Amino acid sequence: MSNLAKALKAIRKSIWVYHLNSGSCNACDIEVLDALTPYFDVERFGVKLVGSPRHADVILLTGPITRESLPKVVRAIRAMPRPRLILALGSCGVGGGIWWDSYSTTGGFKKLEDILRENGVEIDRVVYVPGCPVRPEAIIYGILLLLGAVEQKSKRVEVYASES
Amino acid sequence: MVKLSIAKILQIALKAGRVTRKYPSEQPLLTPEFRGAIRIDPTKCWGCGACVRVCPPNALTLTPKDKVATLEYFVGRCIFCGMCAEVCPANAITVTKEFELSSTSIEDLKSGVVHRLVRCSSCGELIWTEAELRATVKSSPISEEYITLCPKCRKLKFGKAAMLGRGGSSE
Ligand code: SF4
Ligand code: SF4
Ligand code: SF4
Repeated sequence: MSNLAKALKAIRKSIWVYHLNSGSCNACDIEVLDALTPYFDVERFGVKLVGSPRHADVILLTGPITRESLPKVVRAIRAMPRPRLILALGSCGVGGGIWWDSYSTTGGFKKLEDILRENGVEIDRVVYVPGCPVRPEAIIYGILLLLGAVEQKSKRVEVYASES
Repeated sequence: MVKLSIAKILQIALKAGRVTRKYPSEQPLLTPEFRGAIRIDPTKCWGCGACVRVCPPNALTLTPKDKVATLEYFVGRCIFCGMCAEVCPANAITVTKEFELSSTSIEDLKSGVVHRLVRCSSCGELIWTEAELRATVKSSPISEEYITLCPKCRKLKFGKAAMLGRGGSSE
């Protein structure tokens, strides 16, 4: 069993999350808070919100990572203990959303990952959760996927336009 | 802050009952208005690119490469506005209620419809997709002789034919 698998098994029933807003429009943040209310009650899965990335297993990253927030995001992620798990939330977090090619944003997690690598910060696992905003259920599904409790449904498909 | 006694809290809790939704073992709470990921029907799509032009975050792209053009949908950038479904002339796009789209790799969030391109029968330039050609033949009475030409060759041919006073026919 690899180190990552061992670590994932260890945190399986107590996942501490840290909510990191990197310039989102706030809708995704509202949905994160919604997921934490008794209505969806993520404590069923042992998920607990913590106030510092040093205590966190998972970072809930919302927003397209604006230029202003980029150094802070890198510092917060560097402060996390290993394994570093990230949930990139919303179209902004996944692909930059409608700001993907703007000069003032980094444009989604893929590009942030490269910047992190350049700075020597390794990420152990990342789950992309599309949605604008993400539903609380989608966040729960993302966390379960991160832990390997559910099967991934999305798959790359390429089909030819048919003849008829 | 008002301090509540345990008895009072219990009373409130019993009155409210269980509110927690048991997702994922229970069905999610989807309203009729909810918009999820879109689905492109490859049997209907023409590859016209109207959806590509209207999509606000460029989640849809149409890229020609060699003899095919791929209409790619990147759900990770889609904002679920439904504008592509509204604008599609072939009604090929449906807005589904799918939201469990999480993935561990960004490639799995992309899907594509591949269209074969048609060459101009005169100059050999790639002009449009096979599906769009079929749809156009079906819906407008464009002469068979002109259908496989690019706009430039079509103009040339029509000009020649008009000069010879033969209307739309060639030779
Ligand atoms: S994904 Fe949509 S809802 Fe979420 S922060 Fe970006 S724009 Fe706002
Ligand atoms: S037919 Fe509809 S789905 Fe296909 S390219 Fe045109 S607008 Fe897009
Ligand atoms: S729903 Fe909106 S954002 Fe998504 S592909 Fe269609 S037009 Fe683009």
